[in-house]
Amino acid sequence: MEFKDYYSALGVPKTATDDAVRKAYRKLARKYHPDVSQEADAETRMRDVNEAYDVLRDKDKRAAYDALAERVASGARAAPDGRGYAPPPGWDEGFDFQRQGGGPADEADFSEFFSSLFGAAQRRQAQQRQARARGDDQHAAIEIDLVTALRGGERLLSLRALELDAQGHPQFVQRQLQVRIPPGVRPGQLIRLAGQGLPGHGGEPAGDLFLEVRITPDARWRVEGRDITMGLPVTPSEAALGAQVRVPLPNGDEVEVGVPPNSRPGRRLRLKERGFGGREPGHLYLELQIVLPPADSAAARAAYEALAQASTGFDPRRAMRDTEA
Amino acid sequence: MVQPLNMVTVVQCTPIDEAHALRVEELARAAGGEVAWVLELVEAGIIAPAEPALLQTQWRFHGEALLCAVRVRRLQRDMEVGIDAAGLIVALQDEVRRLRRRLG
Repeated sequence: MEFKDYYSALGVPKTATDDAVRKAYRKLARKYHPDVSQEADAETRMRDVNEAYDVLRDKDKRAAYDALAERVASGARAAPDGRGYAPPPGWDEGFDFQRQGGGPADEADFSEFFSSLFGAAQRRQAQQRQARARGDDQHAAIEIDLVTALRGGERLLSLRALELDAQGHPQFVQRQLQVRIPPGVRPGQLIRLAGQGLPGHGGEPAGDLFLEVRITPDARWRVEGRDITMGLPVTPSEAALGAQVRVPLPNGDEVEVGVPPNSRPGRRLRLKERGFGGREPGHLYLELQIVLPPADSAAARAAYEALAQASTGFDPRRAMRDTEA
Repeated sequence: MVQPLNMVTVVQCTPIDEAHALRVEELARAAGGEVAWVLELVEAGIIAPAEPALLQTQWRFHGEALLCAVRVRRLQRDMEVGIDAAGLIVALQDEVRRLRRRLG
C-alpha cells in the first residue's frame, strides 16, 4: 500500500487554511469532473481529489493524518509483508472519526490507504462506544451487458470489506458475492442487496448494498430510458421494394419484421413493448441502414447498370444545388 | 493487506422499481440524509414519489430518485451549493450524458 499525499493531491501546502483547502477542492472538482473534463484520467483524478478532500476538510481526520505523515517522514514503517506502508497500531488514538452527517458510505470508491486509516478507525470507535446502530447503506455500481440485463443472469462481484481480527486489528477481507440479476433490469436502475452493506453495531442489522446498473457500451445498440435502439442493415432492394426480414433481438428472440417499400436510410421501425419491461414497457427501435452489395461480378455490375438506366431522372445531389432555400 | 476468502455468497437482489419502491425513511437513510431533507427535495421538484397524490406516509420512491438524491447530497456537501442549484446541476449533467449517448 502506498502512502498518499493528500496535500499534493489538492495542490495545497500543509499549512493551508480550511478555506484554501475548500477552494482548491472546488477548482479541481470543476476541472476533473468526468462530465466536463477532456482529460483521459479524469475519473481517477476526481476520485483522488474526493478522497483527499474527505480527509483534509475534516478537522479530526486531518489532524490524525498530519500526525501520521510526520511519523512517516521521520522513518517510514514498512508493512509486515514488506510491500510498503502500513499504519502503526494506535495511530489514531485521541481522534474522533464519527462520520460527518454528510452523505452515504461512498468511501467504497476510495483507496485502500484511506479505508485502512479511516474505515477501520470509524468501525473500532463505534464498537468501543458500544453504540447500537444499524449498519450504513453502501453504494456501488455493477456493469452488465444488455443481454444479461434483459435475460437476467449471475455476476460475480468482488467487494473489499474491513473486518477486525481477534486482536482487534483491522484487516481487509475480500468478499465475493454471486449476484443473481433478475431479468429486465435497466440502466440507471438500482438493485438492492439486503443486509450486504456495512455491519451493524450492538446487535443491530447490517445496512443494505445498493448497486446502480450500468450497461456495457456496445456499438450495436443504444439504450435510452426503457427504449432500445439498434441498427437494422438492409439491402437497397429490401429498402426499395419492401421485404420481410428476420431480426435477432438482444434478448435472444428472433422476430420477422416487415420493411415497408420505399424506405430511406435512418427510417425507424418500432417493435412495440420489446424494450425494457415495467408498468410502462419500453419499445425497441430498428434504424434502417442500407448496405450496398459489392459490384464484384458481371451480374452485379449489370444489375447496377440497369438500375442507373432506369433512374436517369434521379439526382441524389439536387439539394446541394438548391441555393434558393 | 487483502486476505482472499474463497467463499462466495450467493445473493438475491431486488430491483428498486414499482414493486419494491423505497419509503421516505429508507430513501433518506440510503442517501445519508434526514427525512426533512427528502421532503425539501420533493418540494423543490428535484425528486418525486411515484404517486405524489398519496399521503406522505404512503409515498414510495423508485431507484432513480435515490440516485438523484445521492448526487444532490454530494453536491451540497462538497460544493456547498443550495438545494435548487444542486438540482439544476444534476439535471444539466443528465442532459449532457443523454446528448453524449446520442453522439455514440
